[in-house]
Amino acid sequence: MLRVTRRFVHALVLLLGVSAISFALLSAAPGNVFDELRLNPQISPEAVAALKAQFGVDLPWPTRYAHWLASVLRGEFGYSVSYRCRVGTLLWPRARNTLLLTALATILAWMIAVPWGIVEALHRGRWLDRLGGGITAILLAIPELVLVLLLLWLAARTRWFPTGGMFSLGSAELTISRKAWDLAQHLILPVLALALGTAPFLIRYVRSAISAVLDAPFLQSARGFGIGTARIVYRHALPAAANSLISLLGFSIGALLSTSLLIEVVLSWPGLGPLMLEAMLARDTCVVMAVVMLSAVFLVLGNLIADLLLYWSDPRIRAV
Amino acid sequence: MENRPPANGQAQPPVLLSVQGLSLEYARRHAFRAKRTETHALRDVSFDLREGETLALVGPSGSGKSSLAKCLVLLETPSTGRILYRGTDILQLPPEARREVRGEMHLIFQDASTALNPRWTVTEIVREPLTIHSKGLSSAESTRLVIEALEQVELGANWHARRPRELSGGQRQRVALARALMLRPKLLILDEALASLDLSAQGQLGNLLLELQQRYAMSYLYVTHDMRMASVLAHHFAVLDGGRIVPRTLPTELIAGTLQPVS
Ligand SMILES: Nc1ncnc2c1ncn2[C@@H]1O[C@H](COP(=O)(O)OP(=O)(O)OP(=O)(O)O)[C@@H](O)[C@H]1O
Ligand SMILES: [Mg+2]
Repeated sequence: MLRVTRRFVHALVLLLGVSAISFALLSAAPGNVFDELRLNPQISPEAVAALKAQFGVDLPWPTRYAHWLASVLRGEFGYSVSYRCRVGTLLWPRARNTLLLTALATILAWMIAVPWGIVEALHRGRWLDRLGGGITAILLAIPELVLVLLLLWLAARTRWFPTGGMFSLGSAELTISRKAWDLAQHLILPVLALALGTAPFLIRYVRSAISAVLDAPFLQSARGFGIGTARIVYRHALPAAANSLISLLGFSIGALLSTSLLIEVVLSWPGLGPLMLEAMLARDTCVVMAVVMLSAVFLVLGNLIADLLLYWSDPRIRAV
Repeated sequence: MENRPPANGQAQPPVLLSVQGLSLEYARRHAFRAKRTETHALRDVSFDLREGETLALVGPSGSGKSSLAKCLVLLETPSTGRILYRGTDILQLPPEARREVRGEMHLIFQDASTALNPRWTVTEIVREPLTIHSKGLSSAESTRLVIEALEQVELGANWHARRPRELSGGQRQRVALARALMLRPKLLILDEALASLDLSAQGQLGNLLLELQQRYAMSYLYVTHDMRMASVLAHHFAVLDGGRIVPRTLPTELIAGTLQPVS
């Protein structure tokens, strides 16, 4: 339990550090939302000045940071000037959509990577391994953006699945089950793009982790008295490789998240990605901060989950 | 070379294992050279091992003893030669039949500490062979067999829940031996299996091996540096040098068996 608490405190300190650094960097960036307002002839300079005073933009950044922190604790994450509402209300539905995407993509990517990596490891040096290695090499070489565009092109040509958004037009009137079906169809493209972008890394990693265990003398000896391949993989190799794979899981969640932001923009998925892009263009500092912080929270949570899994899976760590 | 009297009095027991013309090369590819270097670990090795008998295989370090042991349990694939087990060449067997044969022969590795899964407890390790070769055993029954095997190697209940790294080298060796005994193998290959034990433990296990051989007519291939132990256990000797079986006379006191039996 002590270990869990310690990890939690670590995570909090990390998040505080990330927030302070991003806040300082964003404050140091030239220009803010009011510069844009000032260019608007319909708004008087007095009104701009009043707004500036209201939002306290001219205060030194540590003071503003303190204000912002207090606002975070209230769950508000500051005020969005361009959306004219609390950032919190803006954030949650978007965060949910992004999480849905990354969670499904994580599951799919791992469901592809683990069996594939194992098969490659078992066939090391033979044609199946070479074929698999070739395919992953190609996938690794294709940038995510190109992958999305390829899938987009495929979707547009075949009309098998929708090319963007989260729901079809007029889906609000549909029954729950119809709506779920509609959502599922819209999920195919982004989830596939994300999973295919990440899986090759995972496959490589699983392959080498499993290969390393398969070479261990204790597995040689097990094979020597006739333990079958299935048992070797499930009872020996996977548990032994689990440590490094679980650590990778935490990492992969973070990687998927940052790729997700990009893919959301391309496929107009109403997640954090488009929100962040718009906010950056509008210099809506509080929204940018909130998205950055939320991404950091997801990342830290991913690693925390991985750590807890590790603790649960490895008797040797528990014993310490 | 004869040492102990034949197992069944005068009648020759049938041949269990017959190795004929076995050769093994380890190939190493170099990163920047097309040429491959080959280590000839075994060259044209032949010998017979009869049921219920022990063949001691001695030879200097690097002479190919462990390589031979690994070939016999199909962990290395020899380039030429045949391994006849009860008359069938196991190198030619289809995978299913191979597994069956593997259940009847068991290799105890030279380095027992690396031959045990570090994450498992002693009981789990010793139980594993049962899970594949004798399905349909109730869990109570298999637990009884495990405990029995551990008792045979003098590992009491307080060792059962330990993991390999919490055991001494000799204890690990005994766990490996207990695991080997689980399947009542017809052929037990011991690659320096007693080397890391002290004299009294060696003696105990040596006696255990003799007793088991008598009771179950097991055959042993006993790989060793230790001539003394070999002279107590073995009916025959073979000397391996540079991957070849060499005809060589052993020191007379060994052949005569005049050394003190280990108690
Ligand atoms: N996996 C391998 N790859 C390449 N060469 C090997 C391999 N294993 C063993 N060799 C070489 O084959 C030869 C025989 O090795 P082996 O392990 O069979 O010797 P050994 O008789 O068991 O020696 P020891 O008494 O020291 O255990 C040695 O020259 C060794 O270097
Ligand atoms: Mg050896």
